[in-house]
Amino acid sequence: MNDTSFGEPFRRKILYVIIIGFFSVCVVQLFHMQILQQLSYSEKSNENSVKPIYQFAPRGIFYDRNHQVLVGNKPSFTLRLTPSLYDKKITPYLEAILGVTPGYIDRILKQNESYSKFIPRKIAKDVSFKVIAWYEENAAKLPGIDYIMETQRDYSFGVMGSHMFGYAKEIPPEILQHRKEEYDPGDEIGFSGIEKTYEDYIRGDKGIKYVLVDSKQKTIGRYKEGKEDQSTIKGDDLILTIDKDAQRVAEEAFKDKRGAVVAMDPATGEILAFLSAPQYNLDDFAKVTSQEVWKNLNTDPGIPLFNRASMSTFAPGSTFKMISAIAGLEEGIIDTNYTITCSGGFQFGDRYFKCLHVHGRMNVSTSIEHSCNTFYYNLVNKLGIDIWSKYAKKFGFGSKTKIDIPEEAGGIVPSTEYYNRVYGKNGWTKGFVISLGIGQGELNVTPLQLAQYAALFANFGKSAKPHFLKGYVDNQTNKYIAVKPQTYDIGISKKSFDIIRHAMYEVVNGAGTAVSIKSLELQIAGKTGTAQNPHGKEHAIFVGFAPYDNPKIAIAVLVENAGFGSVAAAPIARDVIKAYLQKGKKEEINKVAASMKKEEQIAN
Amino acid sequence: MQISYKFQDRFDLAIFIPTVLLIVFGLLAIYSSTLNHPTASGNFQKQVIFVVCSVVAFLIIYSLPQQTFKMFAVATYGISLFFLVAVLVIGKTVYGAKSWFGIGGFGFQPSELAKLGTILMLSYWLTYKNRDINNLKDIGVALMIGFVPVMLIMLEPDMGTSIVFAIITISLIFWSGISLFGLFVVLTPAFVIFASILGTYALIAALLLVIAILFFFKRDLFTSITVFIINLSSGFVFDYLYRILKPHQQKRIESFLNPMADPLGSGYNALQAKVAIGSGGFWGKGFLHGNQTQLRFIPEQWTDFIYCVIGEEFGFLGSVLVITLFFIIFIRLMKLSSTAKDQFSVSVVIGVLTLLFAHFAINIGMNVGVTPVIGLPLPFLSYGGSSLLIDVVTIGIVLNIYKNRKMHT
Repeated sequence: MNDTSFGEPFRRKILYVIIIGFFSVCVVQLFHMQILQQLSYSEKSNENSVKPIYQFAPRGIFYDRNHQVLVGNKPSFTLRLTPSLYDKKITPYLEAILGVTPGYIDRILKQNESYSKFIPRKIAKDVSFKVIAWYEENAAKLPGIDYIMETQRDYSFGVMGSHMFGYAKEIPPEILQHRKEEYDPGDEIGFSGIEKTYEDYIRGDKGIKYVLVDSKQKTIGRYKEGKEDQSTIKGDDLILTIDKDAQRVAEEAFKDKRGAVVAMDPATGEILAFLSAPQYNLDDFAKVTSQEVWKNLNTDPGIPLFNRASMSTFAPGSTFKMISAIAGLEEGIIDTNYTITCSGGFQFGDRYFKCLHVHGRMNVSTSIEHSCNTFYYNLVNKLGIDIWSKYAKKFGFGSKTKIDIPEEAGGIVPSTEYYNRVYGKNGWTKGFVISLGIGQGELNVTPLQLAQYAALFANFGKSAKPHFLKGYVDNQTNKYIAVKPQTYDIGISKKSFDIIRHAMYEVVNGAGTAVSIKSLELQIAGKTGTAQNPHGKEHAIFVGFAPYDNPKIAIAVLVENAGFGSVAAAPIARDVIKAYLQKGKKEEINKVAASMKKEEQIAN
Repeated sequence: MQISYKFQDRFDLAIFIPTVLLIVFGLLAIYSSTLNHPTASGNFQKQVIFVVCSVVAFLIIYSLPQQTFKMFAVATYGISLFFLVAVLVIGKTVYGAKSWFGIGGFGFQPSELAKLGTILMLSYWLTYKNRDINNLKDIGVALMIGFVPVMLIMLEPDMGTSIVFAIITISLIFWSGISLFGLFVVLTPAFVIFASILGTYALIAALLLVIAILFFFKRDLFTSITVFIINLSSGFVFDYLYRILKPHQQKRIESFLNPMADPLGSGYNALQAKVAIGSGGFWGKGFLHGNQTQLRFIPEQWTDFIYCVIGEEFGFLGSVLVITLFFIIFIRLMKLSSTAKDQFSVSVVIGVLTLLFAHFAINIGMNVGVTPVIGLPLPFLSYGGSSLLIDVVTIGIVLNIYKNRKMHT
């Protein structure tokens, strides 16, 4: 049976082939790994052991126009959870110590389950020191849990401003998907208001600290003594156009009311006060917002999340009469000598449009002063829908003001084209137009548009796009950069404005509908209005500006379900105007008071 | 330089010096990988003690008369089997395998002694009075000698060591002058098992190939059918073996097939080992400066993954130097196998070569990612007393054989 047995030399050859063959394979493989692919392996090796620790940049601070803090930052502890290391058995204890409802942790994990399980999730922000102490004591029994120091928005500076400031929140996976270049999971992003519009200025640059970690992710030390670290750069501080005192007065006035206030500098478009009431607590959004908070806010009958100041639309009532008046004067259809006699209403076809009183003989000025409806039924009938519509649009109605927050509605200004579209070519009659003359009907405007409207009267048709940002402090150079307002002129004669402005002055300071707020110091000019409300009591409206000779502030106030404008809205407007205009005086008074106190102390 | 020549004639420095260098490399790598380690920082000192013990053992073995090995072959083998059975009963479980005796603070692995016992026994039996290996009965006995320890070690279970025993057995049978058909009978079951791992179609193809080759050999029907049945049953052995494997061993096989699938799971070690070696580059990151090693990304690195310490900290230069030292030893052993004085010695040298080479190939292969992760130490370098002792003893035996190669009995 030794037919095909291997001779010794052959066996030897086979063993040599195996040994030399394997040796060659190893050398080739080592060459491949250590020489050809060294870079790629080095990268992996560094990824392994060099862990970047992101340090979140504090968001820029909001200052008011006088450099008083509106929104600041405060340090806070954020508790985090890393799913890859986490033990689900901990959940009940964690939920108990955090004081949240069971299922909270699961919900948060589910919300961002699309992220890598090695990335920590923030599960609670602004946690109390008690929680941190508990964590420190039990850290060994809490795998996957850690905490970091972060800065969090601080809203304790005396104004709420929830709708204009808006809030920033942890970026949700849907948005992150599109902005992977700029954001990482866990980063904050502005969600609404100024926080959203100026996100790129406010957010700052994240810092990165590189640390060496071992295979258990335990930190061993710093990487290259911190040479590669990048320091955090705080976001740009914003100088807002807001006047803190005016804002505070407005907020105070609306403590138990619903409505809106928008005040602006008529020449520059700078928003001085901006309020939608009721407000909501921005602090609730600075934390990881719990579903309970969301639910409460969303089911509140006062709809606090809704920004009334720039999004609620309604028929502005008598405040709109000046549109018809200006149109009539500009188009030469009426002049100051033109009069009609108010006998309590206006007959149009088979419909009778009522006035509130029997005003008797009225000209354009007295019709504004006394808010006579009959005059305007007549006038708008003369003007026709399209001329009226043209002037309404000139004053900015029917389109967004392009204010620098994302939440804004454009409203509706009806026109022939509009009625044809809605009712069909012959589906509407001229009767539709009559009530537009007194600001009723299908006209829809926002409080912001009314403030802009008041500003245009204040400044003779010249104004600027309403805005919140006065300037910002660049975080790289530390230089203040002012934002130039975009000015415009709606091209209406001074003569027409003189007539109407004087009538508005008489509304407050003559024998008009708002004499209750007459003040020699403030010299307010304005117009009251009552917006019909199909759902309940009418809304009170006041639009105005002051001082009459050299206007510094234009304002619109809406008080929901408050009845007549002169009673509810006008006094609030006066208080806000006063707070803004008499600031210098008040400071002087304060100064005097302070020095008197000092003298007293010295005397004592 | 006559003295020097005489010394080289009695003592093969080409085997001894590489061995010493490898042990030194091993000590460096163990020192590096256990420095500051919370539980293994004493391993370097322990290994130094093992080295001292091994040197003593080496000197004793080297100075023994050559016949000793043949005389004690059967006894060594018998004692080995006894220990292998005993360890299953009273052994200590380490890493899920019952393979250790605890003696004081140190442990002893009987499977290491069994390597020596099996090499000596097989060599003894295969070279006994010009035995003819080419009948099924003799093949059967030879296989028995090898596979009894294989089975006992599998029960521990220690797959890696079992594989080494199987390789040693096959290698020695091959070396004893087996015919092509004999080799075919020995090897095809392994081939069929491998095919069955790959899938049903591969298994069927392999079995068809076996039938075709059986026709080619034109043996009698009984032999052919017997051989075929052996092959057929081995086709199903893998499935059975796979099921008796521990889950962590099953995972190791799976992770070899696709190591990137689960980078923090069972493929972790393989991946981290490659990252360590690859990131070492040409010069290496420097002694004690490898971040993979120092930050402990490879668990238990001082045992089976000691080679990646070399790869990471000493780079391509160090890695190639280490395998070259092994290569020199292997080539010298091949040379020695042609000059040794009797068949038994030749067989022992081939056995030692196979033992060292199998460990070397499987360990380095797994470190550089060309073979599956099978837990086997790298001879001379890996931390561990039993394996170092036996590895050095085998070197003592082959140097003893070298010393006596020109003497006549």
